[in-house]
Amino acid sequence: MASLPQIAIPGQRLGSLSSYSAGPGTHVQESFIYASIAGPVIADPAQPKIQPKPTLRVSRVISPKDLQPQNASTSDAAKPKPRYNTLPAIESNVLARVTRVQKRQAIVSILVVLDESEHLTSSQTASDNDNIASILTSAANPENHSGTDDLRFQALIRKEDVRAVEKDRVVMDEMFRVGDIVRGSVISLGDQSSYYITTARNDLGVVMARSEAGNMMFPISWKEMRDPVTGAGEPRKVARPF
Amino acid sequence: MSNQRQASSASQVPHLSPAELSYLYTSLSLPKNPIRPDGRSPTQFRPLSAETTILPGTNGSARIGFADGTQAIVGVKAEVEKTVLAADTLDSRSLAQHGDALNREGEEGSAAVSGQGEWVQMSIEIPGYRDDDALPIFLGEMMRESLVGSVENKEEMAGGLKARLVINKRWHWRLYIDVLLLSQPLSYPLPLLSLTTHLALLSTKLPKLKSTGEEDPFFDDDWAAAEYLYPRSKPSSGPFHPVRPPVTILVVSVGENIIFDPNREEISVADAVLAISITRSHDSDALKLLSIRSIDPPSRLTQSGIPNSENVNMIGSTPAENPSQEEVSGVWRPRRGGVKRSVVARMIKTVLGKGGVGEEVLEGLEGVEVH
Amino acid sequence: MADRRRINGPPGGTRPPVYASLQESTTGAAQRAQRQRQPAELRKIFLQTGMIPTASGSSYLEFEPSASLAAARANPKSLIPPSSALKVACTVHGPKPLPRSAAFSPNLVLTTHVKYAPFAARKRRGHIRDASERDLGVHLETALRGAIIAERWPKSGLEITLTIIEAEDDRWWGDAPDSHDASWGLMNVLAGCITAASAAIADAHIDCLDLVSGGVAALVSDESNSASSIPRLMLDVDPAEHRSILSACVVAYMPARDEITEIWLKGDSSRAALEKGDDRSSHEALIDGAVDAARGANTVLSEAVRESITRSIAQA
Repeated sequence: MASLPQIAIPGQRLGSLSSYSAGPGTHVQESFIYASIAGPVIADPAQPKIQPKPTLRVSRVISPKDLQPQNASTSDAAKPKPRYNTLPAIESNVLARVTRVQKRQAIVSILVVLDESEHLTSSQTASDNDNIASILTSAANPENHSGTDDLRFQALIRKEDVRAVEKDRVVMDEMFRVGDIVRGSVISLGDQSSYYITTARNDLGVVMARSEAGNMMFPISWKEMRDPVTGAGEPRKVARPF
Repeated sequence: MSNQRQASSASQVPHLSPAELSYLYTSLSLPKNPIRPDGRSPTQFRPLSAETTILPGTNGSARIGFADGTQAIVGVKAEVEKTVLAADTLDSRSLAQHGDALNREGEEGSAAVSGQGEWVQMSIEIPGYRDDDALPIFLGEMMRESLVGSVENKEEMAGGLKARLVINKRWHWRLYIDVLLLSQPLSYPLPLLSLTTHLALLSTKLPKLKSTGEEDPFFDDDWAAAEYLYPRSKPSSGPFHPVRPPVTILVVSVGENIIFDPNREEISVADAVLAISITRSHDSDALKLLSIRSIDPPSRLTQSGIPNSENVNMIGSTPAENPSQEEVSGVWRPRRGGVKRSVVARMIKTVLGKGGVGEEVLEGLEGVEVH
Repeated sequence: MADRRRINGPPGGTRPPVYASLQESTTGAAQRAQRQRQPAELRKIFLQTGMIPTASGSSYLEFEPSASLAAARANPKSLIPPSSALKVACTVHGPKPLPRSAAFSPNLVLTTHVKYAPFAARKRRGHIRDASERDLGVHLETALRGAIIAERWPKSGLEITLTIIEAEDDRWWGDAPDSHDASWGLMNVLAGCITAASAAIADAHIDCLDLVSGGVAALVSDESNSASSIPRLMLDVDPAEHRSILSACVVAYMPARDEITEIWLKGDSSRAALEKGDDRSSHEALIDGAVDAARGANTVLSEAVRESITRSIAQA
């Protein structure tokens, strides 16, 4: 095995397909792996059964952790499908803001594609969207709701994708309100305009919401959130907080 | 839709499924003898009907129709205009009047002979496209640049078309070439437009000049006495090499094969698309290359097929291969990358070579009777 | 198309006065610049990425001024610079969602805008893109689309905007247009645009097959009697330094794959003096020359990209 360069630029040959398999940020031509973006080269060690050969990837994210060889993040379970970019892909988790609630669907705009290789708690440092916290606080603020939606990817949550049980009893108004921040999972690239998102899992649903009075609410059950000031409860499809 | 249209300089994005694209690509890339959907040989052109001088109000005109019903009409109009040197050029002639006039005599002569590229104006109208869309502009620039391109000096047509437009130092002809495509293009319209323009220019006549030298120009009223823009008088001695307007030929490469005059389906699987402009050389039988432009192959915009190993509906039925990104035969992938130099050289050679496609096209066009 | 939204200056622009005495004067202000480089020697290129923080990728490219231009700047003898040197700024925005009206695209949709700044050339340009600028945009798009791995970015668009801050001349300013006149400067501009856009795309972390770079080669003739002289092949020509350019070729080239994504050749390349034993036809020699020039630009390009990634790692 030839030694790997520490950083690669597009078009640089990294290794042969016989000793590595190609991961994100690379492409294959005539059984050699070439870099397709500029960044640090990382060889994820082979995993028995799933991946017999070490996977070469070029990291899109430049974090100091990546530069130390053989870092700890590789102990995570293998990703179901290699992700090549920061676009929403099938099965990627996203944070989205509700922009419209209709009878059959809610329209959301995707704020952040969460990095699956990291645990959620550490995703702030690892994501391309460098500061999730600031995006969310500004997005949850009702004054900031105009303008930038054209630059974000739109998505739909259909009525039948809101929750896994009692799908026919779902009333969209009792699940989401405009301005809520929702954690969802992409189920389809959808049509020309929207992705399709589901929240039909316990860990998916509304993560941040404001009450009618405008206060941040806290979750009290899987279907209710409460305003700490007025004490009034509002129905939501709530994501499991932990 | 307009966004999508602008996405490729090569006409519309094809509406073929990945399976159809893969089938087409495989049959067109068969070594040695590709199978084309309409049964033509790789160098065979589509049949067409042509006529010239159809519009009495123009200096020259032509119409060409393809068998699929697409037609193009070209009208050429000429106007007399006063010569103004562009503001960014230092007019050495006006300077010469102050300085040593004798010294500059030679340069003066050469400057008077050379015309300017802007004197030829070309506009292309394609239904469904705005006139500032990428396609009409790209086509227009492509045809204009070979038209006004440099030509070797020879008595008949020294300096090329540009020089032919010079009347005297103060006056010149301005040529308007208006190309009209009569229906939505069913294939990349370049060959049709280029052939029609060629015929229209060939039939273009300018009134005979009666004034001489630096006088204000006046012309012979007799239209019968008018002279062809591209002269066709036989020289008294030597072989006859008529001066001809350029022709632009569309060539695609698919795999190892080189295919001419592709229709819409064929161009949508091409690895590389070149537009090659040629004309007859004045002093020999050989053809001359005037310009080459690569055209963005629409195959780069197609949807890729999904190999069985990655298809969720087929999981279990095929052995799970390493999900690498290598090509799987029979599965369409949008073409990536460019074209090798050797392929470009072969494409040019097939056009320019003796007895090649270029000669065939020019001979075919010479067969069209020009009134 | 007239620009009705702005109050524009006179369309012809203005230029400093040239006095007839300059023509014969000993100052040499009205002397054509001479090429000081070897035929195969390229101009130096300055290229840096990440200059514009609000864009997802950006770059700035500048050609080395020719020797005569550098001398004229250091010690001006005339108000008119003898030649100009290309300066291009490039920004990449995206990937971002396609507009609502757009149809579904399984691939990245590329849009390129090439715009001359109004002051870029000797003649003032309007604010609305003219035909040659749109034409450049199409060429650039062809060059880049061959290098981008577009299927990795479904349903998204990438906008590439190039601003030409200083353009190349089409010919020496003192020359009247002659029979070989054409917009040769455009070809140098395109080569610079390709290299700059490639750097900006790498800066935006868009997947590419290779860094694609542009190069120009031309057949030039420096004798006053162009009919008798035999044109010579030169790389990276500055049109202001030559009497007439017979033919020129731009390519966009990917060295790792030895592939050309864009080729634009124009002019009469039928007569060229090649070295003895060189049995290539002259247009092949011209294409090969342009590829050599592109290879040269690529060394600068890959260094610039490597430098920018090293810089961002050091900051992380």
